[in-house]
Amino acid sequence: MKAHRATAMVAAVVLAVVLAACGSDDDAGSSDDAGGSGAPATAASTPSPAVGETTGPAGEQATPTDELKLSADEIAEVKSGKPTAALVWHQSSDFVNAVSRGAKDQFAELGIDVVAETQANFDAAKQKSDIETVMAKRPDALLSLPVDPTATASAYRGAVDAGAKLVLLSNVPAGFKPGKDYVTVVTDDLFEMGHHAADALAAAIGGKGEIAYFFHDAEYYVTNQRDEAFKTTIEQNYPDIEIVAEQGIADPAKAEEQANGILVKNPSLDGIYVTFSQPPAEGVLSALRSNGNTDAKLVSLDLDEPLAIDMARGGNTAALIADRAYELGQSMAKAAAYGILGKEAPEFLVAPVVTVTKDNLDAGYQESLNEGPPQAVLDAAE
Amino acid sequence: MSSEPGTTDPAAHRGIDPAGSILARARRVDPRTYVVYVAFLLILAFFAITLRDDGFLTSDNLLNIARQTAPITVMAVGIVFVLSAGEIDLSIGSIVALAALVAAIVLRDVGLVAGVAAGLAVGAGVGLVNGLFVTLLRLPSFLVTLATMGLVAGLARWSTDLKAVAVVDQTFTDVFGSGDVGPIPGLVIWTLAVVALGHLVYRHRRFGAHVLAIGDNPGAARVTGIRVDRVRLAVLVISGTAAGLAGLLYAGRIQGASYTLGESDLLIVIAAVVIGGTRLFGGAGSVVGALVGSLIMGMLTNGLILMGLDSNQQMVAQGLLLLIAISLTLREPKGA
Repeated sequence: MKAHRATAMVAAVVLAVVLAACGSDDDAGSSDDAGGSGAPATAASTPSPAVGETTGPAGEQATPTDELKLSADEIAEVKSGKPTAALVWHQSSDFVNAVSRGAKDQFAELGIDVVAETQANFDAAKQKSDIETVMAKRPDALLSLPVDPTATASAYRGAVDAGAKLVLLSNVPAGFKPGKDYVTVVTDDLFEMGHHAADALAAAIGGKGEIAYFFHDAEYYVTNQRDEAFKTTIEQNYPDIEIVAEQGIADPAKAEEQANGILVKNPSLDGIYVTFSQPPAEGVLSALRSNGNTDAKLVSLDLDEPLAIDMARGGNTAALIADRAYELGQSMAKAAAYGILGKEAPEFLVAPVVTVTKDNLDAGYQESLNEGPPQAVLDAAE
Repeated sequence: MSSEPGTTDPAAHRGIDPAGSILARARRVDPRTYVVYVAFLLILAFFAITLRDDGFLTSDNLLNIARQTAPITVMAVGIVFVLSAGEIDLSIGSIVALAALVAAIVLRDVGLVAGVAAGLAVGAGVGLVNGLFVTLLRLPSFLVTLATMGLVAGLARWSTDLKAVAVVDQTFTDVFGSGDVGPIPGLVIWTLAVVALGHLVYRHRRFGAHVLAIGDNPGAARVTGIRVDRVRLAVLVISGTAAGLAGLLYAGRIQGASYTLGESDLLIVIAAVVIGGTRLFGGAGSVVGALVGSLIMGMLTNGLILMGLDSNQQMVAQGLLLLIAISLTLREPKGA
């Protein structure tokens, strides 16, 4: 049973995000500066050249989120209409909470009232119901992350036909066109997530040695693009680092068992990259502990309390790469104002990336989530 | 004899000797079954008052609730039969996903009729497998359907490597889920048709009486000449087929199919059925009550979203309201 058309659709999304393997060295400075600004010097304070870039679902050029600007007059015009907005998320998580907070704070500044918020537990049918339900309140703007590009397209069509301005996070419903069907799509700088991870791991192991690469073994363009960026950066920028073990993680809950196998076969690993922190990197960390391995340095993506505690205590975890989730939310809210004003927004926006290490725990958390680290992490750092 | 709306007393049907089941009958005579209708009206009134300016009572929103609960209601009708017979079917949520995906793929590669047939066949087929294991190997349906739940969910994920399949056939989407007949959404018509058919069989056909008799006391039912295994097999096929139909309705509604469909439906369906007055351990139940229970569940989700609660608060509020609803409808009388 091969789903050729579905394959083609998903492949289109994934392939659209082509890694420009060459000729992008010029971009390296600008995008990295954005990621590093504001944070104290980190392990990755001298970024290696970017050997790719993040592109949009239809190959759009990425625009940094800080290029969204609203004048005082425009803000007054938005406020005068007393607009409303609804947030239709895919799930509930730390990340979604931070995006939501950023969006609500920005909406408050713009005089936009948030009238409804939902989360779909990754269920496309529930998300369709959620959209129909919130549309009963006739919001002017809809902020959303579609659970699945194919299976949710019909749901968003109804909302757009009813006049809601759609601002998307990360995913775009199949067949939707920027500027026409939705205002813009905002995401973290996927390539830079992987790129920062590679630089951080290289810095942690002194630029040479043997590493293991745990990638997400599923077709999800977000993780696929981040993992690829890590691997490409290591291969092209760090000739003295060798990837001696590659392991796909299909079931993130079973990473520990797979890590055990790799650690037994490669007892002298210097570093490990894990596709995302919760739960696979937590599983890898516990495998390291049960193998008594205190030498291998671990780098993963997304902030996570157990890993941050390990990092604060000087354990295996060397760095966590985070997106600026709060800023993603703020940008979505600003983009919604663009939609309400009928002002043309950049088609594809990316928020910068921050590398969090033991040295910038507080600043790093603030930059990503707009709030400090959990108390347990602060306690561990003392 | 039971005379409450919503409850069916197996002893009221021909062919069953009520002697020797006085205790059981005392349990069945149960005024609490009225309460589901009262609870429904109370919740409706609550939201109608608190959300009067938020679009709750608009016909669009009420039709939304009816549309959104249609697949749940269809599955609930199947589960009324299963629970009434003293069995359980945990595999319905997984069947939804596999039926929807298989239907979408066959629809695309072969055609409309074949797609519909394939989706229903998946449901009936899984139900048949469940039923054969339960009856031939004398295994508890809880364990059999726990196993097939995982097995079928795995097949659904495997069938397309986790990818969603779009459904573009206009006829299919019009008939299943997306179309209207005049002002009435097709999903409402499906709901009413399935509930009417289920109610008819459950209350007015011998099969329904047999189901209840088996749920009440399988040994006694066997003695009275009821073919217990055949009925058990049949209720699992019914619930599988209903889940297959729910899968088609989802596929038509979202114009696509994905392995996540139905994943979170099992507990909602069971809650709807039990709130609706069906005993969790067999012997009594109501198809119409299950419809009302399903509408209550849908109304809660809808109303809490419109109240503007964030999603975490919605979960808490939904849990609390559900506790109140089941306390009202299911509280065991003292000494029962």
